[in-house]
Amino acid sequence: MRILLIVPALATALALAGCAVDTAAPARAAERFHAALAAGQDDAACGMLAPKTAGKLPHPGQTCAQALHELKLGAGGAVTAVSVWGEDAQVRLSGDTLFLHRFQNGWRVRAAGCEPVRDLPYECEVED
Amino acid sequence: MKWIKENSLSLAFLVMFLLALAGQAISGTLYFNDQQRVLGEPTVSVWQYVASSEFAVNVAENWQSEYLQFFLYIMFTIWLVQKGSTESKALDDAGAESDAQQQIGPHAKATSPAWARTGGLRLWLFSNSLGLVMGVIFALSWLAQSVAGQAAYNSERLGDLRDPVSWGAYVTSPEFWNRSLQNWQSELLAVLSMVVLSIYLRQRGSPESKPVGAPHAATGVES
Repeated sequence: MRILLIVPALATALALAGCAVDTAAPARAAERFHAALAAGQDDAACGMLAPKTAGKLPHPGQTCAQALHELKLGAGGAVTAVSVWGEDAQVRLSGDTLFLHRFQNGWRVRAAGCEPVRDLPYECEVED
Repeated sequence: MKWIKENSLSLAFLVMFLLALAGQAISGTLYFNDQQRVLGEPTVSVWQYVASSEFAVNVAENWQSEYLQFFLYIMFTIWLVQKGSTESKALDDAGAESDAQQQIGPHAKATSPAWARTGGLRLWLFSNSLGLVMGVIFALSWLAQSVAGQAAYNSERLGDLRDPVSWGAYVTSPEFWNRSLQNWQSELLAVLSMVVLSIYLRQRGSPESKPVGAPHAATGVES
């Protein structure tokens, strides 16, 4: 009988895991990123990027903050939808779509300024 | 010692199952961490990996196919026969068979299980309990595969800067069907091999084989 209990237990655990996802933390990270950009705090915004994204962003001789400032990403706006799957999240704002990854020190922005492309990955102004 | 001997077949497979599952967890963790290092991301412990959707989908997709295999086998062999195969019953016995053959109701014996002596729903449930349980475990494992698979698939899609998909979209996606069918085809081939090879080949002493000297055409004969 034990094996009969394993599969329903697995299904229940998975369903519960799906219900217990924290969507607030990535949403806050996305809002804070756009709030920093809107306030001209490009250094702070750079600090919220995933390490790979922050490393790829600047051209030679540029800082991350300068590169981010040049991109002039539009306003983020209010959060309209959040999807979290494993260590990755997508946060849709009224003015932008961001992809985030959960690191040991919290959620960081992997990609921002993203536009959908049919059947293909989003094209993003900032990405890793 | 007597108890161990009398249950040695179940015990051997239980131990092998647990060792293989533990091996899958350890090797899966090592493989996952190898990929994590390439991506510059933190590695995980075995327990973290075992709790991941990646591990769950890999376990569930194999479980569902095994239980589907046994469910189909149990049900198909009620009506379908194979001349010469130990996996088939005698050619004239195709079907659910008579109450007397099945030792149920008034034909039950003193040693028959209690529910075999009853009638109505209880007798129907007990008469079909093996197929029902195998079928239910298959359905639940497949459901678990779909839930865990959607989580793993969406995590991968987000990593690729793509939209996640709904459960409905996932269970109609090529990814879900590729995972399912690649397991089903191997299980079905294994059953076909067992049915056909048991006509012509022998394994002395195994109840899965007919006696070495039995004719190839003998059907429903086990040693």
